[in-house]
Amino acid sequence: MNIQLYNITKRFGDVTANDGISLDICTGEVVALLGENGAGKSTLMKMLFGLYPPDDGAILIDDKETTIESPQKAMSLGIGMVFQQFNLVPALSVLDNLLLAYPKPPFWTFRRLFRKSPRKAVLTYLEELAPGLAPDTLVRDLSVGQRQLLELVKVLNLDAKVLILDEPTSVLPPQEAERLWALIRKLAEAGRSVVLITHKMQDVMACAHRVVVMRAGRMVQTLDRKQCTESSLVSLMMGDSNQRSAIEVTPREAFANRPPRISIRDLDARHGAQSVENIRLDIAPGEILGVAGVSGNGQHLLADALVGLTPLARGEVIIDGHLLQSAGRPPSTSDRVSYIPEQPAVNAVAADLSLTTNVALSHFRHLSFFPTWAPEEQLTRKIIQRYQVRPDNPALAAGQLSGGNLQKLVVGRELEGDKDLIVAAYPTMGLDAGAAHDIYQALFAKANEGAAVLWISEDLDDLMSYAHRIAVLQGGRISGIFDPRECDKLDIGRAMTGEHQPARTQLPPEQKPADPQVRAAS
Amino acid sequence: MTSATQPVVKLTLRLLSGPAGAVLVMTAIFVVATLAFFAINGREAVSLFQEMVMGAFGDSYSFSETLVKTAPILLTALAVALPARLGLISVGGEGQLYLGALFGTGAVLAAVDQPGWILMPLMLTGAMAGGALWGVIPGLLKTRLGVNETISTLLLNYVGILLVSFVVHGPWKNPNSLGWPATIEFPAGAILPQFFDTRVHMGLVFGIVAAVILHILVTRSRWGLGLQVSRSNPRVGATAGISYERNVLIVMAVGGLLAGLAGIAEASVIQNRLQDGLASGYGMTGFLVAWLAGQHFLRIIPLSVLMGGLLASADSLQLYAQLPKASADILQALLFIIVLAVASLWGRRRTT
Repeated sequence: MNIQLYNITKRFGDVTANDGISLDICTGEVVALLGENGAGKSTLMKMLFGLYPPDDGAILIDDKETTIESPQKAMSLGIGMVFQQFNLVPALSVLDNLLLAYPKPPFWTFRRLFRKSPRKAVLTYLEELAPGLAPDTLVRDLSVGQRQLLELVKVLNLDAKVLILDEPTSVLPPQEAERLWALIRKLAEAGRSVVLITHKMQDVMACAHRVVVMRAGRMVQTLDRKQCTESSLVSLMMGDSNQRSAIEVTPREAFANRPPRISIRDLDARHGAQSVENIRLDIAPGEILGVAGVSGNGQHLLADALVGLTPLARGEVIIDGHLLQSAGRPPSTSDRVSYIPEQPAVNAVAADLSLTTNVALSHFRHLSFFPTWAPEEQLTRKIIQRYQVRPDNPALAAGQLSGGNLQKLVVGRELEGDKDLIVAAYPTMGLDAGAAHDIYQALFAKANEGAAVLWISEDLDDLMSYAHRIAVLQGGRISGIFDPRECDKLDIGRAMTGEHQPARTQLPPEQKPADPQVRAAS
Repeated sequence: MTSATQPVVKLTLRLLSGPAGAVLVMTAIFVVATLAFFAINGREAVSLFQEMVMGAFGDSYSFSETLVKTAPILLTALAVALPARLGLISVGGEGQLYLGALFGTGAVLAAVDQPGWILMPLMLTGAMAGGALWGVIPGLLKTRLGVNETISTLLLNYVGILLVSFVVHGPWKNPNSLGWPATIEFPAGAILPQFFDTRVHMGLVFGIVAAVILHILVTRSRWGLGLQVSRSNPRVGATAGISYERNVLIVMAVGGLLAGLAGIAEASVIQNRLQDGLASGYGMTGFLVAWLAGQHFLRIIPLSVLMGGLLASADSLQLYAQLPKASADILQALLFIIVLAVASLWGRRRTT
């Protein structure tokens, strides 16, 4: 199946999301749509998938002009899309989720009565792509990578000839991303076409045949993979804004002999099935403490407990000698503690209120009883400009912005003003390299001003490059604390999966939590 | 069509597709439905309709009766709209109204010999406390135990109504009333001030003042902002230091307090005593008015007047045209269904 997009234009209000884009997708080809957040990649593909109508231009399928007015139509044409947000029912099993998405013959044909259960049919692809996965596993017990596979199987079950994957690797740990690349190559060899929406160079280099670079709603260039290098792609993707200054972190000498700014002592907390236990950490002013771990190992709960959203079951949190949280006291939030939660679009903004209001929330206690909005709006404009939030209208409701832009806004808001502690959970997840760079720069600059930073991330490369120390959370406990100068990724990987520590690290993991105190004090 | 008239037509269409058009359509459908209802009853529909409008707004007497009915509707509507601004669906206006009357009457009975300047504040304080109590109880159940506030307020209505019934049949019954279940008549010092020789009383003023103050607080103040944030995303509110739990208690208490004022005004001015059947469903009418107004405090005022007019004219229709009492409820229900249906149709048209 050949698809031609011809001169597609799409506007949202004053914003032109796609400006006259033409693109061919041929059988058996992997096309990477590369661009920063807001470049218009997803919009273009959502039009192909029938989610919005294009304002101008045409879609030709096998040289015949076709209107795709709904996702159902797209699927009947053999176009399937896997979104960034999964569309699965966590309480149901893998098999049930697949059956849910599998088309049933209409009841008036009575074919349902005579036909055998489609169980075998829906499982064919699953067995092929994930041989080890039992169909009766509940989806909530699956890892992110497995869920993504399941989404892919759902689309394949509908006999999709063209697969659109929206930022598929942004949620995956490195090993799983590699598996996905192999899978994509295999699908292409089997004669399907794959469109890979991405902002990551690795994705492009690993599996694309052709790269289409988009910037600000326009198609910049189409290249054969073999013609391009990572650096040439980066400059195409970012245009002239490629000149970025280096990210600076606080030099270790600056805080080597200072007392800790934050002391977490014997902290236990529980929420639902999650728990963290026996967390002991000290963070010096200016220090960046990375927290690594497979997601779902207590990161969320630890962050909530620190900033005062969950009560502690045991232990205490001390800031500069003052008690911030302690067991038996109702938790309390503070203006001097910043929190960038995971999925800021869901967890950190009131979607139906304006950007200005959402920014003002960070210092809600200091607003006067009848707030004056002019300074808040000014602050919002400043954040919008500094982090390039789009669209740049402070009066818009937050829900009208994309997740990436909201994330930038939240980061900007939380890094505003004097802070003692910054808890940042995956602050750059899903953002393109340019935005991530800006956020790291701002976050680490805040550390340099004296804030203690607790930085939760799954990106080991970033953690190894910027964190002063890396604590690994596993099963709600700290399974090791590493100095990135003296360890490699495998050491951390082992601690993440709970394998026993090799002799190379000097202290057994049980005693590790005491280590930072020694180090911070000495 | 000439090109000169086109912009005019376009403008008219644009206006009609907005709220003004919606109101126009609602009114038209309601008039037609009412006429049909009268015709089905075998009456002279048009003249009866005229009668009805006159019965609500025709002369100063009927308008004053409309305003008398407006006061409790307005106050109980506010008692619903304020919690709704935090995302709570309270249907407890009726019970809060009864509790206000109960506590207010309790204060009057306890200090019946005192002069008005002591008795009146005591009575009002009692009423506010009673109403607030009937708001705080569901609030506490919600924040402490996670009990759904809609169900708890609904059920507490019955408790409130029956509590009043209990005291007027029992301990507070006037021994000289020849078995009629009611308290003694309120002394002159416990009768709320009225205006221009009519039954229009201070309750209306309380309602309007409260609506304006609440409007300003909720739309302009930091506290109101907190309500909006908590309603939109409680987790974000908590991070910003806004206590959802405390706000639940505040809005439920303030709402209850206002409904309580409605209750004591009915007892003091309209009935002169506490007795069964005090409110005749004002709480429910207030609930519907609040939802019709989209929980907007200022819109509640004219809608309450309109609804008061409907109730007042239904009274007169019952008297003069011998229509059954239930016809007021039927007309009310027609109005609500029409308004809600048209509003949602208009809303849907605008979003697509």
